[in-house]
Amino acid sequence: MAVASPSRARHGQHGRSTKPSEGRAAWWRCCRAERGTGGRAAVPPSRARDRRHKQEFFPYPEISNEELAEINEFVGPVEKFFNEEVDSKKIDQDAKIPPETLQGLKDLGLFGIYCTPILLYLKWICLGGRGGLGLSNTMYARLGEITSLDGSIAVTLAAHQAIGLKGILIAGTEEQKAKYLPRLASGEHIAAFCLTEPGSGSDAASIQTRATLSEDGKHFLLNGSKVWISNGGLASIFTVFARTEVVDKDGQVKDKITAFIVERDFGGVTHGKPEDKLGIRGSNTCEVHFENTKVPIENVIGEVGGGFKVAMNILNSGRFSMGSASAGMIKKLIELTSEYACTRKQFNKKLSQFGLIQEKFCLMAVKAYVMESMAYLTAGMMDRPGFPDCSVEAAMVKVFSSEGAWACVSEALQILGGLGYMKDYPYERYLRDTRILLIFEGTNEILRMYIALTGMQHAGKILTEKIKYKGNMGVALGEFLTRLQDTLGRKVDLGLIGDRGVVHPSLQESAKKLEENVYYFGSTVRGLLSRFGKTIVEEQLVLKRVADVVINLYAMTAAISRASRSISIGLRNHDHEVLLTNIFCTEAYFKNNYAMAQLEKYADENLDDSIKKAAKQILEKRAYICSHPLDKTF
Amino acid sequence: MGDRGAVGTRWGHWGHGGGDTGTAVVTPVPLPSSAGVCASAQRVPPPRGATPRGPQNLPGSPRRGPAAFEAALRAMERWPPGRGGRLALVEAALAAMEALGVERSVAAYNALLRLLPRGPWVPRGPVQRLLFPFPRQQECGLQLLEQMERYGVIPDAETRFLLLGVFGPRSRPLRKVQRMMFWLPRFRHLDPHPLPPQPTRPGLAAARLGLHRMAGDPGATVTVIQVGTGTGTLCPLCPPLSPGSQSPEQRELLAQHDPARAVFVEGPFPLWLRGTLLKYFVLRGDPLPPHLRNIPETPQYPERSFYFPLELQLELERGPWDDEEFDVDEVEEGPVFALCVPGAGDRRTLARWISALQEQNPILGRAPVVFRLNEGGADPREGPQTPRLGTGTPPGAGLEPPEEGERGGEPRKNNGE
Repeated sequence: MAVASPSRARHGQHGRSTKPSEGRAAWWRCCRAERGTGGRAAVPPSRARDRRHKQEFFPYPEISNEELAEINEFVGPVEKFFNEEVDSKKIDQDAKIPPETLQGLKDLGLFGIYCTPILLYLKWICLGGRGGLGLSNTMYARLGEITSLDGSIAVTLAAHQAIGLKGILIAGTEEQKAKYLPRLASGEHIAAFCLTEPGSGSDAASIQTRATLSEDGKHFLLNGSKVWISNGGLASIFTVFARTEVVDKDGQVKDKITAFIVERDFGGVTHGKPEDKLGIRGSNTCEVHFENTKVPIENVIGEVGGGFKVAMNILNSGRFSMGSASAGMIKKLIELTSEYACTRKQFNKKLSQFGLIQEKFCLMAVKAYVMESMAYLTAGMMDRPGFPDCSVEAAMVKVFSSEGAWACVSEALQILGGLGYMKDYPYERYLRDTRILLIFEGTNEILRMYIALTGMQHAGKILTEKIKYKGNMGVALGEFLTRLQDTLGRKVDLGLIGDRGVVHPSLQESAKKLEENVYYFGSTVRGLLSRFGKTIVEEQLVLKRVADVVINLYAMTAAISRASRSISIGLRNHDHEVLLTNIFCTEAYFKNNYAMAQLEKYADENLDDSIKKAAKQILEKRAYICSHPLDKTF
Repeated sequence: MGDRGAVGTRWGHWGHGGGDTGTAVVTPVPLPSSAGVCASAQRVPPPRGATPRGPQNLPGSPRRGPAAFEAALRAMERWPPGRGGRLALVEAALAAMEALGVERSVAAYNALLRLLPRGPWVPRGPVQRLLFPFPRQQECGLQLLEQMERYGVIPDAETRFLLLGVFGPRSRPLRKVQRMMFWLPRFRHLDPHPLPPQPTRPGLAAARLGLHRMAGDPGATVTVIQVGTGTGTLCPLCPPLSPGSQSPEQRELLAQHDPARAVFVEGPFPLWLRGTLLKYFVLRGDPLPPHLRNIPETPQYPERSFYFPLELQLELERGPWDDEEFDVDEVEEGPVFALCVPGAGDRRTLARWISALQEQNPILGRAPVVFRLNEGGADPREGPQTPRLGTGTPPGAGLEPPEEGERGGEPRKNNGE
């Protein structure tokens, strides 16, 4: 068990690969490897590889007692602050976080949670004990659980540190860190991340903001507009992405994206009025304009023309915390709604005695449990020394938890009936706030593509290597034999259970389901790769199902791993955890099987063709084209 | 084909509500009595108003529309009644319906049927029914129904009721009307690109409609230009208006066009909107030769998507089972940059159109514009004229829009070359 001590976490942070496409997608690799060797489990090297992959998820990551104490010590006052001093209703109504609340957050050190040990070091050297806390990813996840009780504050904090100052943190020079991070960590300065433009969301080629080098070569002149910038009106430090002209290796001048640190004091920075939003109304979102802003050349993050990678790394690294944040919110909702369900009576029966209401509570608990497990598993992996790239896992956590949160809030509202719809109660605010989770930090659709394609790239490489080694016919023959064996009935054993297994026997059934799914998923993926090859990029409906299966598999793994640990060390109510895990795994197993069965089919059988055709007809007319049910022809 | 509701409202004053009200017939035309029949087969001269394209000279009476038809029917009423005479009347009226503009109105057909006598043409007994009774009379009924079918007019319950009264059950017209009532409603919405129910007259509205049908992009902007008046005031005496259409995509394509290569104004090509013939012109480029084509106009970024890879680095190709592309030989065509339906097809109008386009497409100021016009016009009766873009040989035309009256750059006809 790799214990995530702060010192080791440091290495973890910086050892990460800067190229996500080349980064190891741990979960995917695991699936693939287990699949590749599953049929011949007796081969020793594969067995060893299995074990290594298993170690990434089993046992569930733990932290030391001191760290736990430290975290609890820090969490206490934050929880108290949120329960007593934050008036979420007022924030929502006024669409503004009051300055005293903001100051309170700063005093608690919440603006510097994410500043890594480098800052901790700087803090001790330069500031003599004041400033940011320098906590690990686990700590960040833990605090996310509490800050999520107010969506506006959570988003303000996330925009500040998960993306706003992250650029300086992961790609900045020592001087930049020393200059900016202390004040950012203390909350004296607030950061914002300026990427989106009116014509550019996730497409780097359509960024219009331009930075031109001045004649003396010491400054860049920045011109352009950015929209929907969280903290845009509060921030004094901006991470801005703009086009610059870069001379290529072969002497050609090309436009490339560069990241800059821009201070508001550089001049020429203006912002529009705060946008009026559906949810997270208290967070400040507005347009930011740069007009001939003079940015010194020292303020380039990374290298000139290297902004694309900086942006990708920033976006990829911050997502995992959404799991714990959503879980925190759902836990709170369960408390509120169960109170109601146990007191309100209809037909001389409490609401809690109705099966349909019970089902909703179970759903909320299962989702909360699983997303919590996923979030802390990912955080633990990120805190591990030398563990490189968890961006796929983080994306999986984000997709699962945002959709789970939306479903749970909706169900909670359903339990409350009409009461939930009233503005006097906080539930409708939760509903509005939750909706943004599916949209920001990369929409779930885009992240599904990322998850599936990153994995496909990895699996495809292994398959091509195999083809090189064995030849086309060899692989085809092997595949044929494997399929034959599959149809004759195969017992999948990836070593999760049994004598040398890592899963507690109470979770045996769930683990078996996971193993079976993983095995057949590998088979499905190979089938897809041989069917579509590199053109699978265009098959978004296929990729969506692939991503859904992977997300479910990762969720099952996380839940089984956590529940296993809970039984083994005897945590309170571990039987409840086992129950939730088994419920989730069984449901996910069937969903996976359904998705994989669809993946095996061709486009005309699994409805993909029809879906696309229907959409095409609608979009051609840009309207719903069916006749009205009351229409007649005679 | 007319929308039933619209037809009902429009012809409402015929006394027939347009719905399936069936037998409640209120008719301005009194039913002719079948008594006193003049059985002679003399040719009944058609009433003045019913002659095709014949002007109706009665003072104050309308020349077209239901009112004119009604007036014509009244005039027919004054003719001596007779069974043969009635048939000739109906046949003449059928021929005149298009000229009167009522050929798509079911109420008009019903009014014609009301002219026919009820009863005498109904066969008596099964034997007579077997022996093709009243052939000429039934032919007349069939002719009426066929004309309805040709114009896509769906018979209603009243039509059927009238036919039943005239020809009796299981007669040929009745069988036909039943088949029509079964099939025509089912075919009513077959056309995925329906034209408006009323025929369009040539003019600005028709031109707009034609442009909209050809360039289906909802984002396309239609600009109306006017030649002859510098101020652009709209007055009835001014020269005809010329709408031109260009979509944002076309604008983008034109912006990417290499100014060293010419763009062409071609036309006129015919466009039929039901019976209306429009002439349109296209502004297009030639397809690029293959060696120039693969150079992308905008630089391709390898780093483009912030969130997910846009392509995979794999050497695996798509398998044959999932290859759903048909093997299609595509005919190379150059891009069409804009369309125009000029009010007048002369060069001055076209040159004005091009200069109006230049406001939003500055590239037209740099690229040579070649006019390839078929002086013969777009009347399809003169010879087959389909837009075959990029297939004709480039004529030696002037590079600049020629001035009025100047004959430089003698254009050749595309056909026959």
